Amino acid sequence: MMQLWDVEVKSRKIEIVLILAVFLASLPLILNYGLLILSSFSTEMVTNLDPTSFRPTIDNWILLFEGRLSVTGGVREDVVRYTINTAIVALGVAGVVVLVSVMAGYAMSRMNFKGRSLIMQLILLLHAFPGVALIIAVYLIFRATLPSDIELARIYSFAYVIVARAALEIPMSIWLIKGFFDRVPWEVEWAAIIDGASRLRVWREVMLPMVKPGIAAIAIFAFLAGWEDLIYVRTFLFDRTLATYIESNINVEFAYMPLLAAAGTLYLLPTILFFILTQRLLLETSTGGIKG
Amino acid sequence: MVSVRLEKVTKKFGKVVAVNNVDLEIEEGEFMALLGPSGSGKSTLLYLIAGIYKPTSGKIFFDDHDVTNLPPRERNVGLVFQNYALYPHMKVYDNIAFPLKIKKVPKEEIRRKVFEVAKLLRIEHLLDRYPGQLSGGQQQRVAIARALVKEPQVLLLDEPLSNLDALLRVSVRSELKRLQKNLGITAIYVTHDQAEAMALADRIAIINEGVIQQVDLPEVVYNRPKNMFVGGFIGNPPMNFVEAGVEYNETVKLIVGEDSVWLPQEYIEILRKLKLQKVVLGFRPEDVLVLKDESQVEPGSSVIRGEIFTVEPMGREVLLTIMIGETMVKVYAPPTQYYSMGDKVFLQINPAKLRLFDPDTTIALEYLVKT
Repeated sequence: MMQLWDVEVKSRKIEIVLILAVFLASLPLILNYGLLILSSFSTEMVTNLDPTSFRPTIDNWILLFEGRLSVTGGVREDVVRYTINTAIVALGVAGVVVLVSVMAGYAMSRMNFKGRSLIMQLILLLHAFPGVALIIAVYLIFRATLPSDIELARIYSFAYVIVARAALEIPMSIWLIKGFFDRVPWEVEWAAIIDGASRLRVWREVMLPMVKPGIAAIAIFAFLAGWEDLIYVRTFLFDRTLATYIESNINVEFAYMPLLAAAGTLYLLPTILFFILTQRLLLETSTGGIKG
Repeated sequence: MVSVRLEKVTKKFGKVVAVNNVDLEIEEGEFMALLGPSGSGKSTLLYLIAGIYKPTSGKIFFDDHDVTNLPPRERNVGLVFQNYALYPHMKVYDNIAFPLKIKKVPKEEIRRKVFEVAKLLRIEHLLDRYPGQLSGGQQQRVAIARALVKEPQVLLLDEPLSNLDALLRVSVRSELKRLQKNLGITAIYVTHDQAEAMALADRIAIINEGVIQQVDLPEVVYNRPKNMFVGGFIGNPPMNFVEAGVEYNETVKLIVGEDSVWLPQEYIEILRKLKLQKVVLGFRPEDVLVLKDESQVEPGSSVIRGEIFTVEPMGREVLLTIMIGETMVKVYAPPTQYYSMGDKVFLQINPAKLRLFDPDTTIALEYLVKT
C-alpha cells in the first residue's frame, strides 16, 4: 500500500516538473504571439514587455479590411481578396494532397507490386528535399508551360502553385496515411470483398471511412502548408496572398506596424484554430495510434 | 447449398508450403471442421475455398462447378472471421445490409431480409448501434448475420468462437450447431480447439503442416486415430504413447519394461502380417484401470507397472501422471481411491481400446494393413 502511495506522489511531482518545463520552453512563443495579438489591438506596438505602450483600439482591424497601409491613407490593398487567394491556395493544396495520398497510400499499404519498397524509400528521400532547392527547376517548367493569355496565365498560376506546393507535401502524407491503412485489419477488407464489393468499392466505402482521422490529419497539414507558404506563392502566383502581402509591406517605410500586426494575426488565425481544434487528433497521429 | 470438393490443392507462399496436395470433399449440408494447430494451414485452406487466395495448383469445385479461378464475389460464400471484421463506421443494420446493398437488392427487400436474419440471431434490438458498442458475443452474431443474409452456398467460419470467453463459447457453440442444421447450410469451420470440433462437426478433417491427416466422424477420429499426431492432438489430455517391444510366440504380446501386454485378436493378426519388432502403444487416459495392489489384478489380464508422479483432483475424477520407465502418461482414476506421489501402481489397459502405431511412420497399424 505504501509503495503505491509513494509512486503516486512521485509521479505527481514529476508531472508538475514536466508541465513547468513545457511552460518555460513555450514561454517565448506564447509571449511573442501574445504581444503580436496585443499590438494588433493597440495604437503602438506593444514591445519590450512594456504594458504602458498598450493603447486599446480596433482601428487597425478596420484599416486592414479597408485595405489601407497607414492611418493617413496610402495605397489601397485588397486584403479580403488576399485572404480569399490564400484560402484558394490552401484548400487547393489540401484537396490535391488528400486525393493523391489516399490513393497512393492505399496502394503502398495494400497492393503488392514490384519495387514497392523502393518507391516508398524514394518518396521519403523526396520529402527530405527542401522545396527551395527545387524551385529553379520548378520555375523553368512553369515558364515553359505558362499560357500567353494574361487572364489564363493568372488562373494557371493558381493551379501551378497549388500542384507544386502539394507535391512537396504529398510524400509525407503518403507515409502518414499508409500507416493508417496498415492498421486496418486485412480481414475487414476481405470481408467486404467476400460480400461482393469490388476493390475500388472496398477502398471507397470501407477503407476510406476507417482512415478518416488520417485523412483529416493530412488535410489539415496540407491546408496549413498552403496557407503559410511564401516562397512558392511569391515565385509563381500572379496574385497576392496574406503571406506575400505582409512580406512585401514589412520593410516599407510608411508601414504602420500595428496594422501589420493585425494582418499577421489574421494570417495566424487558421493555424492556431486548427491546432486547438484538432490537438488530440494530431497528437494521436504523431504517436501513431488511432483507435477504430 | 452445394458440396465442396478440393482436388490436389496446393498453396505456396514463396517457398513455404501452407497447404500441401489436399484432397477433401464436403457434402451438401454437412458441417465439416478443419482442425489443426496454429500454422497448420487450416485457415489458408478456408481462404482458398473462399477465393481470397488462389491455389498454386489443384482445383476447387462447388458441386460440379469449377470455381478455382472465380473471384470471391462470384462464389457466393459467407465468411465469419475470428476478429469478426465488422465495418466499424457502419451501424449493425448497415453491416448486415452491406452484401445486399452491393448486389443492388431493392431497399424493401434488404430491410425484410436484414430483420429476418437479425431475428434468427436475436440481435434485432442492436440494429441501431455501432459495432464498437457491442460485446464480443454480440459482434460475433452480427458477423454471422452478415454472412448469412446473402444466403450463401457455403458458410465458412474461421475460429469464430476463439475471441469469446469460455462460458459464452460453449453456449454459442450449441446455438451455432442448431442454426446450421436448421438452415441445412454447408458449413466449414476452422478451429484449433479439438473439443469445439468434436462438439460441432459432422466430420472432422485434421490438418498438420499443410497435410490432411485424417477425415472422419468425430468418434472415429477419437477412437481410431489414423496416426500418432491425430491421437496426440485430439482428447484432453491427449492419447498416451508408450514404446513397446513385440514378442512372437504361440501368441503375440507386447513387452513394456518387464511387463507383457496381451493383445486383442485383431492386432495379433496385423502384427503377424507386419512382423514389426517395435511398436508404439497408444491408449486414452480414460481407458485404463489404475490398481494399487497386485492382488487386485484379475488373473489372465495384463498390467503395466508404474509410479505416480503427480495427482491432480478434478472433482469428477482424479488425473494421475504416472511414470512408466522413462515415459510419462496421464490417466483418469475414480476419486474414491486415495493416491499419493510415489505410489507404485498397476495399469490395466482396456484391450479393446488400445491402439498400436508404427514407430517409423507413426501410422496406426490397422491403417497400414488397409493401404
